[in-house]
Amino acid sequence: MTRTALSNGLGCCPRCQKINKMQSEKQQCSRCAHWFYSRKPNSLQHTLAWTVTSLVLFIPANIYPMMTLHTFGKTEASTILQGIATFIQTGHYPIAFIIFIASFIIPLGKIIGLFFLVYHVKHRSNMSLKRQSHLFHIVENIGPWSMLDVFVVVVMASVVNLGFISNIEVSLGASYFALMVIATLMAAHSFDSRLLWDNNNNKEQTHE
Amino acid sequence: MTVSLPTDTLAACQRCDTLVNLPDISNHQKALCPCCNTVLHSPKKHTLDKTLAISFAGLLLLIPATVMPLMGIYAAGQYNQASLLTCIVLLANEGFYFIAFCVFIFAIAVPAVRLFTAFYLTFCLKYASKKPHLIVFFRSYHLLNNWAMIHVFFLGIIVSLYKLVDIADIAIGTGITSIILLLMCSTMLSITLDHRFIWQQLEQNND
Repeated sequence: MTRTALSNGLGCCPRCQKINKMQSEKQQCSRCAHWFYSRKPNSLQHTLAWTVTSLVLFIPANIYPMMTLHTFGKTEASTILQGIATFIQTGHYPIAFIIFIASFIIPLGKIIGLFFLVYHVKHRSNMSLKRQSHLFHIVENIGPWSMLDVFVVVVMASVVNLGFISNIEVSLGASYFALMVIATLMAAHSFDSRLLWDNNNNKEQTHE
Repeated sequence: MTVSLPTDTLAACQRCDTLVNLPDISNHQKALCPCCNTVLHSPKKHTLDKTLAISFAGLLLLIPATVMPLMGIYAAGQYNQASLLTCIVLLANEGFYFIAFCVFIFAIAVPAVRLFTAFYLTFCLKYASKKPHLIVFFRSYHLLNNWAMIHVFFLGIIVSLYKLVDIADIAIGTGITSIILLLMCSTMLSITLDHRFIWQQLEQNND
């Protein structure tokens, strides 16, 4: 029954993991002086807000071009999807696959996964808690990889800088994309996975 | 205000808040949460020495990784090369301040702060006197843990190399080698650093 730190009136400092006695809702860690709550306040609202933000930013990130290529007076702008299509046409399947995973599947998967987790904190589900916790672990850790395309564009833009012959410039889409990635990182960061388990513990108690 | 609790042996899982009495485990063993299998504690052998060595190596590598050219390109008799630092300067010159800021933070600043924190902490714990501000340093280390993206940047370099190889002649610079080594250092840092041990050391000093 009294398994969690919260139900024992204790709290674990998120920075140094020291167990503190919670004298009030907000507690200063006795070891590292970090102020913390036993559960992140308004965690679900913050997560939802950041997730919706990233979903909105996902649209301009894909509509606007990521980079512009100037060769001998010709100008060619390409979005993420156009870039992937070019790779498939030229037969670079592994690279097309990596870019597609990193800049399309991961952000969308993260957004869907977070919506799913927020929903399951509120509602009963068939998925086991271990699975849900595992899902959150994945969502939390794959986040930075979606920054890949921005870094590729940045490196390309600074290397291919040969004036009239060939010149690559970063475009507006890259800024939106970077913002979107940061929003998904913040969303995962503001989600408190302990809420998933709390919900289950409450259910157990009411059953008993 | 101090309430006597057996808090030294108690631990709570960060993921599911399960309260666990940590068993006495030896090196190369791990304490897992009985509820969700998250690693609660894994003591490391010679954590101070190893971390000190690795973080010092990482700090030294940080300089060539930022300043030395990553790659160069030959096309139509012209040559151009770029390093991590020139990437950022170029972006800022073109007016993409936000992306320049992102690259600077994620690829240089966060890894640098992490390495410096680890180096300074282990150095002070091993040789110098323990100072209370070390706690602030180690707290910042935990805060920045999820924001280092040097591994993603490295994959970005590989992908753009692959892209450019078809178009033009490419020369690989020393910057890439330094970034690979830096990446190894920052990965090994998270393996060798025993958080629980260091926090306990810091706490003893505080009392």
